[in-house]
Amino acid sequence: MKLPRRNFLKLSAAAVGAVSVGGAVTLTSRAKAAPAWYTKEVTQVFQICENCFWRCGIKASVVGNRVYKVDGYKENPKSRGMLCPRGQAAPAQTYDPDRLKKPLIRIEGSQRGDGRYREASWEEALDYIAKKMLGLKEQYGTESIAFFGHGTGDGWFVDFLPAAWGSPNAAKPSVSLCTAPREVAAQYTFGRAIGGHEPIDWPNTKYIVLIGHHIGEDTHNTQLQEFSEARKNGARVVVVDPRFSTAAAKADRWLPIKPGTDTALLLAWIHVLISENLYDQAFIEKYTVGMDQLVAHIKPYTPEWAEQQTEIPAQVIRQVAREMAQHKPKAILPPTRHTVWYGNDTQRMRASYILNTLLGNYGREGGFYIAMAPYLEKYPTPQLPLEPAAGGCAGPAAVVTEPEGFKPRADKGKFLANTTAIQELIEPMVSGQPYPIKGLFAYGINLFHAIPNVPRTKEALSKLDLYVAIDVLPQEHVMWADVILPEATYLERYDDFVTVAHKTPFIQLRMPAHEPLYDSKPGWWIAKELGKRIGLEQFFPWQNIEEYLDTRMQSVGLDLETMKSMGTMVQSGKPWLTDWEKENSLPFNTLSGKIELYSEALAKAGFDPLPKYEAPQAVPEGFYRLLYGRSPVHTFARTQNNPVLMEMESSNSVWLNAEEAARLGFKPGDHAYLINQDGVREGPVRLKVTQRIRKDAVYITHGFGHKAKGMALADGRGASDSYLQTRYTLDRISGGAGLRNNFVKLEKAPAPKLKSVTQLIKERGA
Amino acid sequence: MARLGMLIDLSACVGCAACAVACKMENQVPAGASRLWIREREVGLFPNLAVEFRPEQCNHCENPPCVPVCPTGASYQTKDGLVEVDVAKCIACGACAAACPYDARFTNKKGGYADKCNFCAHRLAKDQQPACVETCPAYARVFGDLDDPNSEIAKVLKAAERSDVLRPDQGTRPKVIYLNAPSKKGLTQEVSDS
Amino acid sequence: MTEFYGVPNTGEFWHWTNALHFVLVGLAGGMALLAAILTLRQHPERNRYVWLAAVLIVLDLFVLWAESPARWRFSHIWLFLSFQPGAPIWWGAWGLAAALVATAALLLKQWFVPLRRIPEVVPGLVLLLGSLVALAYPGFALAVNTTRPLWNEMMLFIFPITALLMVLAIALLLGSTWAKRWEVLVAALSLALLVAYPLTLQGAAREHFNQEGLIGYGVAGLLIAVAALFFRNPRWAAALGLAGAVGVRWLLVMVGQFQSPGL
Repeated sequence: MKLPRRNFLKLSAAAVGAVSVGGAVTLTSRAKAAPAWYTKEVTQVFQICENCFWRCGIKASVVGNRVYKVDGYKENPKSRGMLCPRGQAAPAQTYDPDRLKKPLIRIEGSQRGDGRYREASWEEALDYIAKKMLGLKEQYGTESIAFFGHGTGDGWFVDFLPAAWGSPNAAKPSVSLCTAPREVAAQYTFGRAIGGHEPIDWPNTKYIVLIGHHIGEDTHNTQLQEFSEARKNGARVVVVDPRFSTAAAKADRWLPIKPGTDTALLLAWIHVLISENLYDQAFIEKYTVGMDQLVAHIKPYTPEWAEQQTEIPAQVIRQVAREMAQHKPKAILPPTRHTVWYGNDTQRMRASYILNTLLGNYGREGGFYIAMAPYLEKYPTPQLPLEPAAGGCAGPAAVVTEPEGFKPRADKGKFLANTTAIQELIEPMVSGQPYPIKGLFAYGINLFHAIPNVPRTKEALSKLDLYVAIDVLPQEHVMWADVILPEATYLERYDDFVTVAHKTPFIQLRMPAHEPLYDSKPGWWIAKELGKRIGLEQFFPWQNIEEYLDTRMQSVGLDLETMKSMGTMVQSGKPWLTDWEKENSLPFNTLSGKIELYSEALAKAGFDPLPKYEAPQAVPEGFYRLLYGRSPVHTFARTQNNPVLMEMESSNSVWLNAEEAARLGFKPGDHAYLINQDGVREGPVRLKVTQRIRKDAVYITHGFGHKAKGMALADGRGASDSYLQTRYTLDRISGGAGLRNNFVKLEKAPAPKLKSVTQLIKERGA
Repeated sequence: MARLGMLIDLSACVGCAACAVACKMENQVPAGASRLWIREREVGLFPNLAVEFRPEQCNHCENPPCVPVCPTGASYQTKDGLVEVDVAKCIACGACAAACPYDARFTNKKGGYADKCNFCAHRLAKDQQPACVETCPAYARVFGDLDDPNSEIAKVLKAAERSDVLRPDQGTRPKVIYLNAPSKKGLTQEVSDS
Repeated sequence: MTEFYGVPNTGEFWHWTNALHFVLVGLAGGMALLAAILTLRQHPERNRYVWLAAVLIVLDLFVLWAESPARWRFSHIWLFLSFQPGAPIWWGAWGLAAALVATAALLLKQWFVPLRRIPEVVPGLVLLLGSLVALAYPGFALAVNTTRPLWNEMMLFIFPITALLMVLAIALLLGSTWAKRWEVLVAALSLALLVAYPLTLQGAAREHFNQEGLIGYGVAGLLIAVAALFFRNPRWAAALGLAGAVGVRWLLVMVGQFQSPGL
């Protein structure tokens, strides 16, 4: 049947070939095909991406009051000329018709969560907040107001403002809901932070072992580039994950570990390196303390024992350990960011660092490099009464004791690390213990999609005397606030400089591409105006942000105007790799000044000085462990109203092992409700029937399941892992909230009756 | 004359869709239509698995079925091998979309023409790379002249262990060439239920 | 399991307006053929059919123009002057244009004297040629897409034959008795093609056809069968045959947009 048709076509193609090939290839004919914006007068403005927290340096292409395209640029060490999908799509948020457009004040007499608001002027909104703040100060003290936030502007609201105001209760989700265990463990082991941009010398490494790492799914731009480089340079990759992740798809070997048993695997690897004498003896002798204790401690943790825990064959465990050793010191187990898994996470990270140390890779080529921070002076403001306490991706930051007249942070004593744990600051709002927190600022953070135990958070919010949300979208937690302040989006504002410790230290600039749309204002303006009204005027001595930035830039011999034409200032400096060894200047800020395999400090504080294995909580009969992760086209719960990204992926789906699906009678494309151990129900969510996950767990990507009527595209799509995380296990060392001790069962559900995202976008005409 | 083409290294691609979004933004592709998308497919049984992340777009075929069926000559091949649409000539009759085995074409209703990937011809005119190539954070894409033995694309293609094109059965001779398909059998294909 | 970020353009590229065109162009081409034959044979009813052909051609061209998103760029009409012999639509456009010119020559001479100097056989032959091209074009426009397995070579026969069925049915409805035996013959031929067509489909194409089109196809076929074989009342038979032929054309255009699996 096929042949004659093909012949007919060939004939016609031959006849036509001669005439149709040969269209002009002139520049003008090419330029004719250009999209409309490209042919107009396009100006380019240096910016910093805000669609995730990697914060790549970008150039925005602006025509009038609209940014059409953003690109990385080569001179920026983070984007290096490339950009991830979220970054590419980020401008769409600025032109989202659902944006918060004017300051809003909750209608008198309505309940928090009713979502009933009236428009207000900035003047009125800020006066309202200031009056309440001063009242709270009078009645309960400055510490009774907590400041939560996340994003480039959080410096104003979570670091500067609370420190000036005098509240130690400032927190970011990027600490206790993300990196705290790995950062605290690094402090106790290396006496150094890992830092926001994992200082891994990817291009030179030859053997990479990733444990639960979502590289490729988090699309952290530079890291993904370097991971790709490493693989092109011939690095072998081993991925340990209960799920065949994107990283696993790129790996040479996948170890489908039983969830929660990672420490057993790490201890067994340490066991093999030591028992077979495969570790870097010179490195251990010169730069570490506690090897003797480790040797004794590790004896029982044999691969055979680990096989029982992890369901990974002992022989495979041995083989991977030997392969690591063969490639040392260019073999590495890079720490992932989100490490709050089971509640004993600092110890797991300690085990990982000890293993890395045995491979002799710290401060060596193909291992961890030691990043240098850029030099840039602060704006000369009067001494703040408190030190900023919130920390960040690079770990905790707080003081051991507060200055005279200030109460300690409200979560002090619950865990060892000197930091605030955001989820532990919710409790005092409910219980009033150790003292009441009656006020809350939420900047950029999504209280319901980030912090576990949503019912408790809602109870806490309903008990507050003042709740202010500063955001760009009417997220569900925003619509609980007493006052809502619409911030200008990243493209419309200046922020403080972003300074990055990287292979080369650098400073990058964000400047507005155009005036803020609607009645929105930049964060710096909001902070300054509020500061004026609450008696903190002295801490905002600068007239405007340009003056502030210019003054800071003067400290490195430049000015703002020059910076505007550069975007990024790369400072001289290089990563410490072998230099510190040659110079014999040990970089380890531990008590002993060396890498602490055995931690005296932990022992003194009553914790295990060497990591022990604790079995994870068992999965209840009929339930699956709820695992969660990242979608490459979404950032947490921030991007589900972005039309471009929603067209890429409009909902998450729940991954269920194919055999389990067959057992439960689910077919591909079916929908399900997820019901957790406390009866909380999420969904309906589409089922992904797959071979790519073990039978004892299900997986969803984080960030979907919005219940925000004002966000047309996001509302009601998919399921939220956060709402299902009604429980968490506090890591008593780092303050991290272990989120993977939640369990769900699946029930059949009808497909949700929702308009397609495309349909909605067309209706909105945006 | 040049023979412009693109390599997509499937062993590097992580399916992050940076290319697809860059394309959507650069070319202001309307909602509901795509010039570029990612197809993700798993192969094998637990635990012996592979996942193919496969970006797809117009293949700029050397033997493009969409060109001869165009009644106005709006669809044409340039001398350097791009399959392009002269939007001023296009009557949006849909014949090219019907002929395309790759679902690469759609009707741009607002503009009133057939639309698809054109390797960002407007960027090529300024010596820039196509937006998808420029942004790819996994270094999965190479664009260039397949006929120039000194070009990166020719070198990478020569060095590749395995290269495939989509639907070779159609005789279209695509110039979007996939390297290092994760499955030993080459590019995956839709499995018919029957 | 296959998943996407973004979506390939798998939706239908031809909508109801295009299906309508595939019906109208059949009517126009078929009617032009009848008009041409009647003209060449100097049949007394010829003028009526030339008028009908002209109106249908204009109507079809109007639909094409109205449904095109490019309708406000009139310049396009001239683009057909380029030589695109591989494009069935180019052939179709020229066929219709030639037929329209021929009908104009035949119809306008009562008002425009110089036209009377042209013997009728000239526009008659042009009309015949144009109509044959217009009749053949839809089948080619579909069959040329090797990637759409439902549009196989059978389209080359089904579309012209069902076009004839439609116009002969209309002729019958208009009371032209000479159409009767041709109508029965063409209906029988259509029926034979319709029975044969599903047998030419294989694999996924057949499955898709069975799922999406079988019922409608069966109903349309049944109408034609009844029209051809059972009905004594020629007007009823004609009406049913017309409806069946319209249904078949419509359905093949809509359901046939199925991409062969292979991606």
